[in-house]
Amino acid sequence: MSHISVNNVSVHYDSYCVLKGIAFEASKGEFVAIIGKSGSGKTTFLHALARFIPFAGDICAPKNIGMVFQHYAVFPWLTASENIAFGLGYKTENERAQIVREHLSLAELEEKKDKYPAELSGGQVQRIALARSLAHNPEVLLMDEPYGALDAYTRDKMQQWLLDVWATHKKTVIFVTHNIEEALFLADRVLILNHHKFTKEFTVPFARPRREEIKFTPEFNQLRKVIFEGING
Amino acid sequence: MKRFLWFIIPIILTVVLWEVVSRGGFVSLALFPPPSKVAAALWEMVTAGTLFYDTRDSLGRLLAGLLIGSAVGILMGLLTGRMKSFANVLSPVIQILRPLPPVAIIPLVIVWFGIDDGAKVFSIAFAVFFPVWINTYIGARQIPQAFLWSAQLLTSSSVKTFRDVVFPAALPFVIAGIRNAIAIAFIMVFVSELAGASSGLGYRISITHLAYRIDEMMAALFVLAALGALVDQLFVLGTRKVFPWIKLSST
Repeated sequence: MSHISVNNVSVHYDSYCVLKGIAFEASKGEFVAIIGKSGSGKTTFLHALARFIPFAGDICAPKNIGMVFQHYAVFPWLTASENIAFGLGYKTENERAQIVREHLSLAELEEKKDKYPAELSGGQVQRIALARSLAHNPEVLLMDEPYGALDAYTRDKMQQWLLDVWATHKKTVIFVTHNIEEALFLADRVLILNHHKFTKEFTVPFARPRREEIKFTPEFNQLRKVIFEGING
Repeated sequence: MKRFLWFIIPIILTVVLWEVVSRGGFVSLALFPPPSKVAAALWEMVTAGTLFYDTRDSLGRLLAGLLIGSAVGILMGLLTGRMKSFANVLSPVIQILRPLPPVAIIPLVIVWFGIDDGAKVFSIAFAVFFPVWINTYIGARQIPQAFLWSAQLLTSSSVKTFRDVVFPAALPFVIAGIRNAIAIAFIMVFVSELAGASSGLGYRISITHLAYRIDEMMAALFVLAALGALVDQLFVLGTRKVFPWIKLSST
């Protein structure tokens, strides 16, 4: 049974159509990457899934959703640990402290718990953003080009870290990116969003756990080429 | 050390030049007393206790007006900035009153409330409200949508969202508004004391004018200016201490 089911969903901004009658499904624990050109509606699709914006059609998805935004959205006025604790006020103090400790450890930032986001690197801020979402134990995690602003080296490290976190938590992840290599390395399935619709779908055949080395295999490069052609075709 | 010298040397030069010009017979000594005479008058005011009571009274009125005007300005700024219904009802009224020069209401306030402290505090709070409101309103309007969407996913409490997301996100603008308001509050405390008071630095300046004590008048003006700079700098230092993330985020 699908964990997320989207049927005939359309989104319009005034008279401009961003998504046109799209359909989408994801199973529980699946990692799906969505790729496409700028302005193809990838971010809008995530915003509709999170019910941030009005849409026509049916979306059947769990209510408990976490989201990591393109530009962090970690609160600059809260420290790393306060960001993770945000919205956990309904828990007891001990439970809250335990969750914060666990997620600081997950983000590998125990030493930086009292630092403000402005005192952390881009990669560290992005780990706080993900840890903050996971602290609420969401059933679905939406990630909108989370590594778009990072340098290539940090991005590679963050991809590996995300795979390790996902292997532990097994959340359903919908990951939007511009980067074909990133989509192939992370996801079980890659969907191309073009001209307001999903136009192609690829199942990623690489076994898990995945390591950086697979990016240099002929199979990986062959699939990258096919997807590239799919986006530009 | 070099920085201190650059700060102090122009001040010393100005004071020396002032003393020379004043005592050199170029101008009337009574109209333009030298700094040594102004300092003596200041000391006289200190020892007589008038400076302490005047400063205390002016500062008390100023801080009360600043506090009330800022509190109302922040609350209204957040509400009109984030809630369309509030903006629809309140913004037209505020926008009509905003271009009014705040000193223009002083005669009306005297008619309504007399010349006691309450009237002065009201005048200052009225003047302070507008810069704080407009800055808070702009700050609340331009909060990144991702902050609000994050809050929507992380908490269901709109009070928490307002207190822990909307307010801190607008805070740099609120602080800019209050700094602006501090300068306006000093104008208002001075003018309202000129218009009718029995104590305060504005009152002191007005009676020294009648008594033709220009040295005392200059001493009181100097204290008023120093107090303005001091309150502003204390506010800046206080906000840096209480909200260290603002400076971190802007660098």
